Amino acid sequence: MSIILDKINYIYSPNTAYEKQALKNISLVIEDGEFIGLIGHTGSGKSTLIQHFNGLVKATSGGVYYNGADIYDTDYNLKELRKKVGLVFQYPEYQLFETTVLKDVQFGPKNLGLTALEVDLRSYEALKQVGIGDDLIDASPFELSGGQKRRVAIAGVLAMKPEVLVLDEPTAGLDPKGRDEILGQIAKIHEERKITVVLVSHSMEDVADYVERIIVMDGGSIAYDDTPRNVFSHYKELEEIGLAAPQVTYAMHALRDKGIPVDVNVTTIEEAKEAVLAWYRKD
Amino acid sequence: MIRDITIGQYYPSDSVLHRLDPRVKLSGTFLYIVCLFLVKNWWGYLAAAVCLAAVIKLSKVPFGYIVKGLKAVIILLLFTVMFNLFLTSGTPVFEWKFIRVTKEGIDLAAAMAVRLILLILGSSLMTFTTTPNQLTDGLESLLRPLNKLHVPVHEVAMMMSIALRFIPILLEETDKIMKAQQARGADFETGGLIQRAKAMVPLLVPLFISAFRRAGDLAMAMEARCYHGGKGRTKMKPLHYKKRDGVAWLVLAMFLAVVVVTRKL
Repeated sequence: MSIILDKINYIYSPNTAYEKQALKNISLVIEDGEFIGLIGHTGSGKSTLIQHFNGLVKATSGGVYYNGADIYDTDYNLKELRKKVGLVFQYPEYQLFETTVLKDVQFGPKNLGLTALEVDLRSYEALKQVGIGDDLIDASPFELSGGQKRRVAIAGVLAMKPEVLVLDEPTAGLDPKGRDEILGQIAKIHEERKITVVLVSHSMEDVADYVERIIVMDGGSIAYDDTPRNVFSHYKELEEIGLAAPQVTYAMHALRDKGIPVDVNVTTIEEAKEAVLAWYRKD
Repeated sequence: MIRDITIGQYYPSDSVLHRLDPRVKLSGTFLYIVCLFLVKNWWGYLAAAVCLAAVIKLSKVPFGYIVKGLKAVIILLLFTVMFNLFLTSGTPVFEWKFIRVTKEGIDLAAAMAVRLILLILGSSLMTFTTTPNQLTDGLESLLRPLNKLHVPVHEVAMMMSIALRFIPILLEETDKIMKAQQARGADFETGGLIQRAKAMVPLLVPLFISAFRRAGDLAMAMEARCYHGGKGRTKMKPLHYKKRDGVAWLVLAMFLAVVVVTRKL
């Protein structure tokens, strides 16, 4: 049970002046239940890559396999795939269209042909999981704040109960509080539903606290694919491709340079705290 | 799919045609269209087609890319051909119940189709080789005399350039929203007419909202930079005629002459 990408190449507008190779020979395996951070600079191809996961974009060459089945087979049911691989686009609040929050969330599950009861159950559950209270479900989605709209949009995909949840920059344009809330809710959903989550971001800070694996994209290729700890150890190379390790990595390196023997490869603030306290107590 | 709509878009390349003064291209296109209506017989269409082919070759825009622009007007083309084919009176060559095709009808339909195709290819070549900015500048400068008649030339030109600029943006937006709704299980491709029209709602509502939002943002940005219409506005790149523009005028004059001569054949 996994998503396998085999030597994917994707070229935009081939044979015109706008031709651009967005993905170069990408091979990737995403296992069940993983929590992955997909990081890359603007234009590195990360948004194009995730659209291959549910067949919205067809690779120029290469194959995509979901649970062992080739999704480019002529008789493969793409609608079924989109039910299993939920994709939340960047700025998803711009796709809201219904008159009430609840109706908008129901759009996805209704398209799956579920019973009215099941549609309602799933919608209420999804809204609850993203922290939208009962007072808002009958409001117009256009009256909500930016952060609330985004959570409604995420609920719209969650209500389809996907096995894999892919989110493209879910925190773009949010304030720190909104960012932490959304990321916390996503982590909770990953834990409770035991689904695979792919979190796309250009900020290491965003993903370092949550994910188990980081894929770094650069110029349409995969630059690193490893645990956060190992990826951040390349912090100098990351800077060269326009990214940066989390600030805690820099702080730990600075401490070591001052002669304090701490582990420089910690990835979260919590781990850094432990490392510094351990050194402090030992003295 | 949606990116395939190429009519009216700019195609970046480096050719003589791209460097030509937009005023020459605008009036040249106008002259070309007038010529197409002056044409009386097939010799004239042949002359126009040869000239157009030469200019397309010169423009370095791939021919296939230009032809794709015809897709957008295929319905109009079919309608014109049908009407001319069935509704022209004359010597009948084919009759079946109420359908009647005449010799004159076939001639007229063919001539109309060729004329329309030449017209669309020719005028889209202008937009392929001229950036919206240049196009506006050219139009504004050509229409300046109308200012005396209190026609808001600058405003019209500005509106046109904004409209042209927004076509690719809105197309991209449509593509994005379509994908987002497809990811939520929306189906735009199957079902009957009513079902398909209903399926458009999740696409059109966000598209309209985003168009209004963008319009508001743009108005705000223009206002913030003290835009107040064309009065006293200067250009960063004022238009100047160059030698190649003179050559272009000569070529156009020759084309006009050829077309007039073919009328006598």
